[in-house]
Amino acid sequence: MTQTPVLRIEGMTKRYGQKEVLRDASLSVNEGQLKILIGPSGGGKSTLLQCINFLVTPDAGRVWLKGEEIVRTQKKVLYEYRQKLGMIFQDFNLFDHLTALHNVTIGLVRVKGMSKQDARDKAVYELERVGLKDHISKYPAQLSGGQKQRVSIARALAMDPEVMLLDEPTSALDPELISEVLTVIENLRANGMTMVMSTHHMGFAREVADEIVFLEDGHILEVGTPDKIFLNAECDRTRAFCSKILELYGSA
Amino acid sequence: MPGVGDHVVDMTESFIAIRDALPYLLHGSMVTIGLVCGAMLLGLALGIVLAVGHVYGGQVIRSVVGVYVWFFRGVPLLVLLFLFYFGLFSFLNINLSAFTVAALVLGLISAAYQSQIFRGAILSLPEGQFKAARALGMSDRKSICYIILPQALRLSIPAWSNEYSIVLKDSAVAYALGVMEMMARAHFVASRTYEHFPLYFTAGVMFLILTYLGTRGLGFLEKKVRIPGYAR
Ligand SMILES: Nc1ncnc2c1ncn2[C@@H]1O[C@H](COP(=O)(O)OP(=O)(O)O)[C@@H](O)[C@H]1O
Ligand SMILES: [Mg+2]
Repeated sequence: MTQTPVLRIEGMTKRYGQKEVLRDASLSVNEGQLKILIGPSGGGKSTLLQCINFLVTPDAGRVWLKGEEIVRTQKKVLYEYRQKLGMIFQDFNLFDHLTALHNVTIGLVRVKGMSKQDARDKAVYELERVGLKDHISKYPAQLSGGQKQRVSIARALAMDPEVMLLDEPTSALDPELISEVLTVIENLRANGMTMVMSTHHMGFAREVADEIVFLEDGHILEVGTPDKIFLNAECDRTRAFCSKILELYGSA
Repeated sequence: MPGVGDHVVDMTESFIAIRDALPYLLHGSMVTIGLVCGAMLLGLALGIVLAVGHVYGGQVIRSVVGVYVWFFRGVPLLVLLFLFYFGLFSFLNINLSAFTVAALVLGLISAAYQSQIFRGAILSLPEGQFKAARALGMSDRKSICYIILPQALRLSIPAWSNEYSIVLKDSAVAYALGVMEMMARAHFVASRTYEHFPLYFTAGVMFLILTYLGTRGLGFLEKKVRIPGYAR
């Protein structure tokens, strides 16, 4: 592989007290790739994703964005780096006191220093892209879960990120709202966005992931194409997890 | 034999006493309003700083805030007024008017209480929003200013309204420093005309009116800034 990965992490380790929740995790993501993290709850998926943009401070581990190592102790470097990683949370984390529009503009105005008018134009464009043209002046409490998650995607995309990190973006949604969010993610992928996503949605993972990463007890146990992971896993734990998920949710 | 007429005369005299003193008392209510506004605004500014320090600060800052709150909530108002006016500022040779010292002391005390109101409000917010703000590349300071405080302050309005009515009542103690607010003026007139009941009654009613107006105004503000669709 001659290509420089867009995002590379190495030796990511995190302990809470005595408990090691992430052990020496390494990963690299190429331009336009979609990596999907799977594994049991409590396996460390959220911790790994949040260590990538240092929302959780790892005990050890290094990160490179486009070949450049991130020195997280320099505040300015850290804040600029975070702008380049869009983050989507399981429970949306929209700013409750702001309309959909202002949820998107606030980062543009307060972080990127854009003028109010430019920010507004860009936010309207991003909200239209996720199908929320008619909802821009609603407050989070007036939106459905699927709409909230799409606002949060628009908010992240407006910052022009190099990589998107998505932490179970559909897990807090009612079943009938899941597909509207997955469709947006599929469109992102089709447009070449580089993404790392954790999900329990195996059908989706199998269909659209370039690579699947299986994480259990803080260990990355196996990495491979969807076909390999779902049909031909080398690791017993991976096979056991996949068959259990299939049992629970039907055919993948 | 005291007849009905005597009472009529009493009542009339009371009304006359109130009428004559009213402009003087109303002037005093301006002083009271000035004291309370000054104290509440100082308490607001300092209370926010203390609350943010208490929630987000390190061990040292948290202890400093803790001691501050413990001190200003623990020492009686009158002691603090004398301590600052006759003690501290005389000792430091700083010449401040009684009004300024009273507003300052009321504000410092209110800051201690307000900091606990804001702290509770900040802690009641879902922490994911702070994470989301940082994920956008905001510094902690920006996240607190643009995301946390606008919501925490909204949530604080009912408790703040309560704090207002307490500071308003406490402001009468400024009388002890010779600040010519409502209570001091009522006392001044009453002790000369011996019309105690009508004057203190009027002063009491004026305090009630100020409480009512303030809490109504804040109730109106609370409705006005309520976040649409947000159940509380
Ligand atoms: N702030 C925290 N303090 C203590 N333990 C935590 C904290 N956050 C996560 N953990 C623990 O770390 C482990 C991994 O959690 P998480 O990364 O959320 O897993 P996943 O996202 O795969 O469900 C879990 O056992 C969880 O209890
Ligand atoms: Mg998780």
